[in-house]
Amino acid sequence: MAAPVHRTLFALWSLFWLLMLLVSIARHLAWAPLVAVTFIVSVYAMRHGVYALAGESYEHSGWAYLFFYESLKLMLFASLWLSIIFGLESFGRWQHERERLLALERHLAETQLAQLRAQLQPHFLFNALNTISAVMQVDVARADALLAQLADLLRASLSASARQTTSLREELELLRRYAQIMQERFAERVTVSWDVAPDVGDAEVPAMLLQPLLENAFKHGVEQSLGPVAISIRAQRGPESLRVMVRNSGSTLAAGGSDGIGLANCRERIALLYGDRARLEVLQEGDGVVATLVQPWRSVMV
Amino acid sequence: MIRALIVDDEAPARDKLRRWLGEQPDVELVGECADGLAAAAAIEKLTPDVVFLDIQMPGLSGLEVAAQLEPETAPLIVFVTAFDEHAIKAFELDAVDYLLKPYDKDRLCKSLERLRGRGEPAVAAAAVRAARLRTGSSERLLVPRGDGLELLDIRAIHWLEADDNYIHVHTAQARFMLRRTLADLLLQLGARFARIHTSAAVNLGEVKALSPLFKGDHELELKSGMKLRLSRRYKDELFARLG
Repeated sequence: MAAPVHRTLFALWSLFWLLMLLVSIARHLAWAPLVAVTFIVSVYAMRHGVYALAGESYEHSGWAYLFFYESLKLMLFASLWLSIIFGLESFGRWQHERERLLALERHLAETQLAQLRAQLQPHFLFNALNTISAVMQVDVARADALLAQLADLLRASLSASARQTTSLREELELLRRYAQIMQERFAERVTVSWDVAPDVGDAEVPAMLLQPLLENAFKHGVEQSLGPVAISIRAQRGPESLRVMVRNSGSTLAAGGSDGIGLANCRERIALLYGDRARLEVLQEGDGVVATLVQPWRSVMV
Repeated sequence: MIRALIVDDEAPARDKLRRWLGEQPDVELVGECADGLAAAAAIEKLTPDVVFLDIQMPGLSGLEVAAQLEPETAPLIVFVTAFDEHAIKAFELDAVDYLLKPYDKDRLCKSLERLRGRGEPAVAAAAVRAARLRTGSSERLLVPRGDGLELLDIRAIHWLEADDNYIHVHTAQARFMLRRTLADLLLQLGARFARIHTSAAVNLGEVKALSPLFKGDHELELKSGMKLRLSRRYKDELFARLG
C-alpha cells in the first residue's frame, strides 16, 4: 500500500510546483500584451526602415497573422527564461530554508545539552567520584555499589533528553540512588526519609524532573549547614492529580530570590508537558524549604 | 617534618587524605576540620606548615578562610576542589597549588614534592592573594571570641587601632584583638575603611564630623561620640573619599 500513496504524494507535489511555476510565469506575463505590441511594432518598423534605406521594400505576411505568430514566439521564449529564473529562485529559497532548519536543530541540541548539564552537576559528579575513590580504599564492595549507582544516574540523565516521561517508580529509584551517593558523602550530616503511597508507582512523570528538586535540598540544606539536616520525599495520589514533595530542613529561601537553572528548567518542562494544569511551588516552611510538584494524574502505558 | 592540617566537610574525602598523607614519612598530621570556621581557628592554634583546604564548605568556604589569613604568616595552602572553573583559573595564574577531586596518590605526591621544595613565604602569600581576588573584599571578618573565632559583619566595626603587633577592632559593644598588620587588614577590608593616622583607621560610614586642629591636623568625631585625631598626612585622601 505504501508505494501508491508515495506516488500519489509525488504527483500532488509535482502538480503543486507546476502550479507555482505557472503562477510565477503568469505574474511576470501580466505586461505581455504591452511588451509584445511594442516589441513587434518596433522590430518591424526597424526592418521596414533598413529595407527602405537600401532602396528595397520589406515583404511580410498580413499584420493579424504576424502579430499572432510573433507574440506566440515571444511568449514561448519568455516562458523558457522565466522557468529558469523560477528554478534558480526556488533553489535559493530551498537552501535558505534548509539553513534555517539546521540552525533551529542546532539550537535545540544546545538547549538539550544545557538541560543535561543542569540535570547532573559536574560538581556532584566529581565529588561522587572522589567519594568512591576514598571508599574503595577500605571497602571495595561498597565502592563497587556506589559506582553502579552513579552509572545508573548517568545513564538516566543521558536518556532523559530522548525520553520525555517515565513512571514515578523508576524516577524514585533514581532519586534513591542519588540520595545514597549523597548520604555516603555526608553520612553524619543528613537523614533521608521516604513516604511513598503504594498506589503511585504507575504515575507518569517527566523524566529526571524530580532529581533537581532533591539536588537542591542537598545543595541548600545539607551542603550549607553545619548541623544535621533532615530530607523527606513524599508522593501521594489525589483524585485527579499526583503530588510529590521534597522537603529539607536547615535552609532559608533567599528573599525575592529567583529560580536557579535547575528550577527554571523544571518549570519550563512541566509547562510544556501539562500547560497550566501542573505547578511547582517552592516555599519556606518552618526551618526549611519544601518543593511541591502537583501535576495531572496519568498512568504510564503498560 | 611537614605539619599538615586537613580541612574538608566530607568524611570520605578526609579519610582519603588522612590515609595517603599518613603513608608519608615526613608528614605529620596535626588536625582535621570539617568546616571553615573550625579551620580558621585550627590554623591559628596549630600553626600548620601546610593546609589541604577544601573550597566548598558550609559557613565559611575554603577561599574565604584563606582570604582571612595574613599573607606574610599564612601556612602553605593546597586548595582541594571538585569543580570550580573560576577559582582554578585564578590558581593557575598565580601558581597556587591545588588538587582536583578525584586525584590519585601520584598527584598528591607531586603536590607534596613541590611543598618540600619551597618553604618561602611568597608562595603562601600567593595563595592568600588569589583567594582574596576570588572572594573580593570580604564583608565579614574573623575575630576571636572566647575560645574560638566568629564572623563579624565589617559594617559593625567603628574603627581600627594598631598597637605593636596587634589590631584592636572596635565595635559598639566590644573590642576584638587580632594579630595582624593594619596595612594588610585594610587591604582585606576594602574601600569601606580609611586610614586616619599611622596607627588608626575608621569605617567611613561611622564618621560624624571633622573639625580643624593645629598644623593641619583635624579632630574626627565618630557617630558613637568617640573622638580621634586625623593626621594631615591622611587628610586629603580621607576628604576625597568622604566626598
